Amino acid sequence: MSKEALSKAMAELEEEQVIALVKELLGSGVAPLEIVKALQEGMVEVGNRFERGDYFLSELVMAGEIMKGAMDILEPHLAGESTEHKGTIVIGTVRGDIHDLGKNIVVMLLKGAGYKVVDLGVDVPKEKFVEAVKETGAPLVGMSVLLTSCQGALKETIEALRAEGLNPKVIIGGNYVNETVKKHVGADYFATTASDGLKAAAEVFGA
Amino acid sequence: MSDKEKLFQERFKRYTVALECGKPDKVPVVFPLGEWVVKYTNTTLQEAYYNVDKSNEIIGDVIRDLDFDVMFGAINLWWPPMFDGMDCKLYKFPGIYFEENSGFQYVEEEYMKAEDYDEFIANPTQWLATKYLPRICGEFAEPGSYRATVALIKGAAAFAMHNDKLTKTGEKWAKEYGIVSATTGMTKAPFDTLGDALRGTKGILLDLRRRPDKVLAACEAIVPHNIAYAMITAAGDTSLPCFAPLHKGAYPFLSLEHWQKYYWPSWKAVIEGLWALGKRTFFFAEGDWTPYLEKIAELPDKSIVFCIDLTDAKKAKKVLGGRFCLYGGVPTTLLTYGTPEEVKDCVKRAIDELGGDGGFVLAAGGVVMSDAKRENIVAMIEAAREYGVY
Repeated sequence: MSKEALSKAMAELEEEQVIALVKELLGSGVAPLEIVKALQEGMVEVGNRFERGDYFLSELVMAGEIMKGAMDILEPHLAGESTEHKGTIVIGTVRGDIHDLGKNIVVMLLKGAGYKVVDLGVDVPKEKFVEAVKETGAPLVGMSVLLTSCQGALKETIEALRAEGLNPKVIIGGNYVNETVKKHVGADYFATTASDGLKAAAEVFGA
Repeated sequence: MSDKEKLFQERFKRYTVALECGKPDKVPVVFPLGEWVVKYTNTTLQEAYYNVDKSNEIIGDVIRDLDFDVMFGAINLWWPPMFDGMDCKLYKFPGIYFEENSGFQYVEEEYMKAEDYDEFIANPTQWLATKYLPRICGEFAEPGSYRATVALIKGAAAFAMHNDKLTKTGEKWAKEYGIVSATTGMTKAPFDTLGDALRGTKGILLDLRRRPDKVLAACEAIVPHNIAYAMITAAGDTSLPCFAPLHKGAYPFLSLEHWQKYYWPSWKAVIEGLWALGKRTFFFAEGDWTPYLEKIAELPDKSIVFCIDLTDAKKAKKVLGGRFCLYGGVPTTLLTYGTPEEVKDCVKRAIDELGGDGGFVLAAGGVVMSDAKRENIVAMIEAAREYGVY
């Protein structure tokens, strides 16, 4: 019974073992934040395995579900404890598109890697992105899009940010984005997988 | 025989020879129909979705002067009144939820719960009629009630009306423009039926770990339904392939091990079942299928047309070429962001790399949506004629 075992169980997607270990560690007086940290380490390993091609989307979705189960247990114990983070990222699926699978996976991995993520959801109007960046001062904004017909909204949203004098780095993500789309819409990075998103975040935050 | 009918015969032969992996006189070229045609008119997408006659008029204007062989796609995959009549919550259409010029979208939920598996496996049709329909359709909340019965009649009538219009339009285009339809009928991989429509993406991916046996049994139970659905929607036609939009078999949803165990056997059974009836499958491999090509190559020769979207085209040619017709060559993003010159170069390259010895159809690799530019599509078709003569 140790934090290392918890990280390992998380990385191996051993759902029952993760839940049992979280309860055990809590019971033995380990600080809830330490437990979260161990889970995050497991999650980073999940991301690494995806990057190496050992894990696939199915494994990432499972990891997210296990993390959610663990956090449901931990959250009541976390009230009032301030969590340190590497920086704030605003993210959302742009106007007109309601797909969220890719966005949710990258949110999970970013949180696992220690970022504070403000998730605006799907079909997000440009005004909402502007407002969130103003409020949080986030240096990085993620815009998700699956449908090629909704890629125009990327451009409009980025233009809206710039028109307000806001200059966060912008990463666009989705199955059909590439260098051409990135240039056309005026983004700084593009990502077709969650791990590309993590790499861009590491670059922006120097983490 | 009229000139247009002769033209139809010529193009039909060109396309079907390529499907049989043969070398026609020219590389067949496909016109990608999509919502993009509407943006060059003063009609809204909402109107084009609902008013089939109007949308046919728009399509007629675009294709009148173009020389291509085959048409693929639609302005709208579904006719909204069919769903509106049932108060169905599966889709959001322009003008109601989205603004009037947005495309439709599918609302994915776990319409089938984990505890429904056994009942579904025992009798899928009964489960769909008594459990699924009431969950997705407000008008069908109480099966057997007067209201539900009327709703069923409305939905069925709308489906029949729309299919009838599509059939007549197809006949009109064949007769007046000499255009061949890319496909007849529609089907899906059982894993996608279960994952897209019933359990949802997250649901089915978690099921692979929590209740894998149920996933396998459910996919097996769906096989005969998807064979029947293909033949019914094709009205028995076997001269053209059956459209099969494929989703969760794309990389990186499933590891090769999971793909081989859960996605492939039931899908292969549908393809082989259709092939035994003389029906070829239009393997519309959306996304990237590169890691699974070797397994796909196990299918009977010529039983599919493999559509290259984001799959590695060279590898597809190496693994599948000669035994299966390849379809694609032009990335959809190029049709939006490229210039006519770039599209032309791409067509030339695609024909050189993929079309050399026949068994190739030049087309956009994926679904062409509202973002495509007309001048790029015209460039694609003209370049195919310029470079695509054997």
